[in-house]
Amino acid sequence: MKRLHALLLLCCLPLSVFADAPAYTVRPTEIKQQPYSDAASIATLPDKASVNIVLRKGGWVQINSTQGKGWVKMLNLRSSSTTTKQGDSGLQSLFNMGRSGSSGITVATGVRGLSEEDLQNSQPNPAELAKLQGYAVNKNQAEKFGRSSKLKTQTLDYVPAPGN
Amino acid sequence: MFKQKLLCISIALLTSYSACAFDFDWQKALKTGADVVQKVQQANKPLSEAQEIELGHGIASNLLGASPLLNNKALQVYVNQVGRWVSLYTERPDLPWQFGVLDSSDLNAFATPGGTIFITKGLMQHLSNESELAGVLAHEMVHVLSKHHLAALQKSAKMNIASDLAGQALDAKGNPILDKAIKAGTEVYAKGLDKNDEFEADRKGIVIATRAGYDPYGLPAVLQMLDSANAQDSSLALMFKTHPAPRDRLNLLDQIMVNNFDAYAAPSQTDKRFNSELALLK
Repeated sequence: MKRLHALLLLCCLPLSVFADAPAYTVRPTEIKQQPYSDAASIATLPDKASVNIVLRKGGWVQINSTQGKGWVKMLNLRSSSTTTKQGDSGLQSLFNMGRSGSSGITVATGVRGLSEEDLQNSQPNPAELAKLQGYAVNKNQAEKFGRSSKLKTQTLDYVPAPGN
Repeated sequence: MFKQKLLCISIALLTSYSACAFDFDWQKALKTGADVVQKVQQANKPLSEAQEIELGHGIASNLLGASPLLNNKALQVYVNQVGRWVSLYTERPDLPWQFGVLDSSDLNAFATPGGTIFITKGLMQHLSNESELAGVLAHEMVHVLSKHHLAALQKSAKMNIASDLAGQALDAKGNPILDKAIKAGTEVYAKGLDKNDEFEADRKGIVIATRAGYDPYGLPAVLQMLDSANAQDSSLALMFKTHPAPRDRLNLLDQIMVNNFDAYAAPSQTDKRFNSELALLK
């Protein structure tokens, strides 16, 4: 039972990033009852309508809006939270990073090491490179991993760039 | 009659003079042209695959100098399993692809020539499922497939790596030309690639992830997450400096995906697996 509880908790984790995120439509958008193109429509949102994202499923997101709750195509939405945030605090709500008092300085947990200057001044680390090579898996192992995951492979070509 | 002769001689003289002049210019032009052609041929000569891999390992070693690997073997192996599986659906499945999670709270991912790919712990912590991981790794793979870093390196360091390294031993130790290429190559990561290279990596990355059986919307979902984050946050500084704005990247994917990618979904067990592998990081 404890195990099931832990599993349920874990399943809920991914939703937190998207939960209650404000967004707006970039074109008139149908709200569907289910996350499928042929599902019944509840209403049609106009362009630039405000919505709140509840959760995501594939290319669909569940939203709350004044026109009702349902599913819309993910790429019909853009986040409206960017413009309202200032300073280094924006990630706090999303990423739960610590903050030192009222100074506004974000205290990131863990090492950064990847600033522009860090990269320009970095020295080789052959010991870590050897470790990296030790973690690698070969083609057969990868094949086994993919097949056991029941991932359904597809044959499809690259999509040309717009205008080509 | 005399006048006619004089005219003929004049014409002949003029012609021979101009012919001489032409000959002279033509020869010079031809020589210059040949040099140019030779240089262009050298510049276009691709680095051998072995050299590409060696250079990439040198750059990877430098990146690891800036940030070591996360000390979590199970997670490192898991990311390698996902990445190596996805790499089988690229046009270079036989490269020695290897993947590493860097112990950095920055949000970023990197690819080095020859198939080494890094993702930071910070970015891993903010992914929601295996399809998002596959989408990020596939984006990075395109930089390797299209040799974007090699092109940027040749351009920025005004180096002709292929001809400079021609006939050179591949051992990275003590080869000044390879060392110079590795140093210049590492700096490319601070400056970033051409923005069209990033758009190409998004456009092709979604297709590679879909071929491997993942949800095509994994990468767009990561871009949505980044779009809703604060661009001023220091953990995003390098990524935002070296990439087009997430919104522009989303707009491009919006244009090309339309309704063509709606039929694919990843099996739910990949999400369960992702959550248990990532549980310690969250």
